[in-house]
Amino acid sequence: MKKRQLHFGRTVKYLLLTILVLIYIIPLLWVVFVSLKTNGEVMAQPWSLPKTLHFENYASAWVAGGIGRATLNSAIVCTITLVVSILLGSMAAFSISVMRWKHSGKVLSMFLFGMMVPVHCILIPLFVFFVKLRLTDSYLGMILPYTAFALPMTIYLMGGFFTGIPWEVYEAACIDGCSVYRLFWEIAFPLARDGIFVVSLMTFVGNWNELLVAMVFTSSPGVQTIPVRLTAFVSPYATDYVRMFAAIVLAMLPTIVVYSAFSNKIVAGLTAGAVKG
Amino acid sequence: MNKVLRNKRAIFIFTAPAAAMFLAIMLIPIVCAIALAFCDWNSIGMPRFIGAGNFVEMFTKDKTMGIAVRNSLFIVVFSLVTQQTAGLLIAAALSARGTRLRNFFKNIYYMPCVISSSALALLFSFLFNPNMGINALLRIFGIEGPLWLMDVSWKIPLGLWAIGFVATWQYTGSSMMLYMAAIAGIPDTYYDAAEIDGAGRVQSFFLITLPLVKPMAKISITMSCIGSLKFFDLIYNMTKGGPSHQTEVMASHLYNSAFGNMRFGYASAISITIMVMCVAVSALVNVLIKVEDR
Repeated sequence: MKKRQLHFGRTVKYLLLTILVLIYIIPLLWVVFVSLKTNGEVMAQPWSLPKTLHFENYASAWVAGGIGRATLNSAIVCTITLVVSILLGSMAAFSISVMRWKHSGKVLSMFLFGMMVPVHCILIPLFVFFVKLRLTDSYLGMILPYTAFALPMTIYLMGGFFTGIPWEVYEAACIDGCSVYRLFWEIAFPLARDGIFVVSLMTFVGNWNELLVAMVFTSSPGVQTIPVRLTAFVSPYATDYVRMFAAIVLAMLPTIVVYSAFSNKIVAGLTAGAVKG
Repeated sequence: MNKVLRNKRAIFIFTAPAAAMFLAIMLIPIVCAIALAFCDWNSIGMPRFIGAGNFVEMFTKDKTMGIAVRNSLFIVVFSLVTQQTAGLLIAAALSARGTRLRNFFKNIYYMPCVISSSALALLFSFLFNPNMGINALLRIFGIEGPLWLMDVSWKIPLGLWAIGFVATWQYTGSSMMLYMAAIAGIPDTYYDAAEIDGAGRVQSFFLITLPLVKPMAKISITMSCIGSLKFFDLIYNMTKGGPSHQTEVMASHLYNSAFGNMRFGYASAISITIMVMCVAVSALVNVLIKVEDR
């Protein structure tokens, strides 16, 4: 009797888990199917499979829709932000968590305060400054706020990874006459590469998907990132459906591909990051 | 050793760039935003000090702000209830010993968290479009679906429920991951002992799992609440706050006030309100959920 109950329970569990998988997969498959149809087909039978595959919708979204340019812009902005925030953040984290000085605790609290601040609060003053400095509608106008907002988490997590390196490693290096700069650059930084991977992913994915700052600070397609371009380009009231769907797929694809490639590592890493945050 | 680590010049070289950046892009703008919140400013000319005028207007005259606050709080509560419950239950189900395809399920459920909210919002706005998505599917079965995002017949518009659903769809995975991490930290021996004492699965869940994931629940709940208060992308791409401001949230009202109506002072006051609410909610969660130090 007990065994049968257990069996029944297990069936229900896998059934529910599978239904949930369908709830996650169907919308994504739907958008892919629609993106390969013609506009006439979409209106007549939105849920049928495409009769012939119209890949030219993708070419149209990529070139005429500006998604190609936006992908390049996103890649540039996110990569520069990533490199700068990892570099500046690790340096600060190293000096705060490994080096010895009186006010390190206060400086750390200052950075951690940044985690509490919604980006909405700095949007308006920063917009006013950037208009004066002619930084709106430029890559730098996005890179600066993205980097500043990445710093608190980077410093917090990298600090944890630097203190996690066995103290003997630092000691041995110092005895061998290693300068503090080499201690950071040749010993601590390479040893914390797991941490760098985690923080990089969090920063990169977060900025890749960021809409509000990018929308406020940019207006021309030449610098707009994917979320902004997509928002401007796709509207439920426009009529060229297939091109919009192709654009949505193109916007989702990069993160899904990266996620599929490293999913186990990413999931572990992002969780570790979130837990510490 | 100590001499190397007390090198003042190195400390300055390491810390100064990040600190300068932080000061210029974060701290100074916040001080400006707080100052602007007490001013009337249309972005041209000089800001004019009006004391608490913006806040008075926000909470007494501005009907849209009233709706926005109500809707933001709705999203907070809706996300909290759905995401935490679903996240915890899925985590418990997947963490059970001998679960097959655990990584497959986990990776699928977490995937939407890495996808751009803007793209997902647009995808779902088509799914909720009265002519194409869900309604076209329902029509096959002869059912005429509601107007979804355009429906305003309920007190809390149906559109907001739909947007809440999308938020849950996207972010349940992240609560699930947090709870799975917490459950992985519970020693197997606890469950073994309970089983020997005759406890069933349900009993073990309530008496072992639930109390022991409390510290993680605190993190997950705080993150969910703050995220909901800052909620913008889904609203902006699904309804733009419409129809007639019925689905406006605080962030979208801020955006319209600042960059639609050029009321920079008033919008700053809204942004400060959001920040204060975020801090208040974190403090509240901290007080309400007590975690004993172990």
